[in-house]
Amino acid sequence: MSLENILLFKLYVITMPIMFLIGIYAIMTTKNIIATIIGIEIMTKGVTLLLAACGYFNGRPEMAQSFIIIMIVVEVVILTISAGLIFNIVKKHDSLDTRNIRNLKG
Amino acid sequence: MSFSLAVLIPLFLVLFFNLPFYKVSGKIAIFIASLFCIIQAFSFFLPITANCPISQYFMLDFQCDGISRLMLLTTAIVAFSSLLVLYALEDTDRKQFNFVNLILLSLAGMNGLFFVRDIFSIYVFIEVIASTSYVLIAINKDKNSLEASFKYLVMSSVATVMMLSSIAILFLVAGSTDFVTISSMYQQYSGNTLVVVAIVLFIVGLFIKGGVMPFHGWLPDSYLAAPAPVSIYLAGIVTKTTGIYTLIRLFYSVFGFNTSIQSILLIFATISIVFGAFAAINQSNFKRMLAYSSISQVGYIVLGLGAGTTFGVAAAIFHLFNHSIFKSLLFVNSAALEKQVNVSDMNEMGGLASKMPITSTTSVIAFLSTAGIPPLSGFWSKLMIILALWTADLKVFAFIAIIASILTMTYFLIMQKKVFFGKLKEGFENIKEAPLAITFVSILLCAITVVVGIFFPFILNGLINSAVSF
Repeated sequence: MSLENILLFKLYVITMPIMFLIGIYAIMTTKNIIATIIGIEIMTKGVTLLLAACGYFNGRPEMAQSFIIIMIVVEVVILTISAGLIFNIVKKHDSLDTRNIRNLKG
Repeated sequence: MSFSLAVLIPLFLVLFFNLPFYKVSGKIAIFIASLFCIIQAFSFFLPITANCPISQYFMLDFQCDGISRLMLLTTAIVAFSSLLVLYALEDTDRKQFNFVNLILLSLAGMNGLFFVRDIFSIYVFIEVIASTSYVLIAINKDKNSLEASFKYLVMSSVATVMMLSSIAILFLVAGSTDFVTISSMYQQYSGNTLVVVAIVLFIVGLFIKGGVMPFHGWLPDSYLAAPAPVSIYLAGIVTKTTGIYTLIRLFYSVFGFNTSIQSILLIFATISIVFGAFAAINQSNFKRMLAYSSISQVGYIVLGLGAGTTFGVAAAIFHLFNHSIFKSLLFVNSAALEKQVNVSDMNEMGGLASKMPITSTTSVIAFLSTAGIPPLSGFWSKLMIILALWTADLKVFAFIAIIASILTMTYFLIMQKKVFFGKLKEGFENIKEAPLAITFVSILLCAITVVVGIFFPFILNGLINSAVSF
């Protein structure tokens, strides 16, 4: 790898944990159900970026591309299910507050 | 039977059920799905051939070994019990139909997970199973089940992100994601920091999916809030497959063992065993107690894996099989109680042994097996785990495993005394034994527990040694 590539690689590798931490922080602090899902999405985007970077740097971008496309499909399924859950939760409680869904204690 | 059919048949069944030209009723769907489960269970005894033309057309590249076959058998038994309990408990036709479709999709994902030899495909199949589980938990759309399902979704998504970043790093270093390439890469770079981080991330992700103790928050909630057939299915096989089977598969066929990874596994397993058992003692809800007991038993499986020998792996896989059987049996009993008594607090029950003799007896056998009393199946697998730890010179952990067995006995004795023994509580005079379908399932699972225990030498040679030769 050339020096430029190494710097670029470090940039990607640093970005992913930062996005992961932002996502975790969003999930832990928010009081809004939809914001929880957005936190999950931020983490997932970080991983997508990491996969793309890994494919670029080990010289197999076509494989990374197919992985990312499969990942996006799976992600959409999970998002649809979470949208359904949120829809029903809001119907039950009539608000988007996460404090409503803290009845079960681990 | 060609093994890729185990993935394709459930998928085609779901398609076939949902074609717009006719309407399939819930009962017929249950019948066809349970027929498929029986065929899958018997395919364990048939010689397995290579890929058939249909699967070559779909370009499925699967491999099958002893562990996969044992897991296929376990999955079939648990799914069959869950379907029969569904038949007995659920009377809405539409709900039955939706249930069967989701369980079939989940079965397709699970059977695929047993055959794949590629870490990215592992991710895909785990997500198939997980996404069906979210819907299954929330299928009644009441407040608690929606909350439990949402919690599971969030936790599981975090786990998925961890696993995917691990997969990305391994893909970066190895250049491909199939087991052979990664295994040879790992032998070359086993000391590399990036690779170690990747493996630890993968382990933590799988611990979240499997509900090992510090990451167990979602597990008791989802077992509690889910309807009874789903609890059986989740506790019996889903968490065991997505979390623990994948862990065993990764270390058995990809990474191998070294001392640092072993110590991670052993420490988390010990925490899970001891604290899971203590938490189970304090519970008053039947299903919640079973959930914590499940966490504790999962700890045993991981402990057996942590011994780091092939004998340890064999012990772990055997305990996984036994645990699936007797934990499903206990959840079937809880379903019977839920249906007949309609109370879930153990303090409000009492003296039900005279009214529900079959449920009471099978639950005694199940908990004796869980606690490791000879000659039942749980005794042999726990003995194998302890022997594996002892021969691997991890005597402290073997000792903890023996002591924690007594804790297991404690909470189950408390349960049995509160629910079944003693004087009959007032208001329970008219309670009858559970419907035929439920008692049939509990007798079947009970028979498996006893038979595996008594014919252990044959099982050891025929089942375990063919799965993992040691």
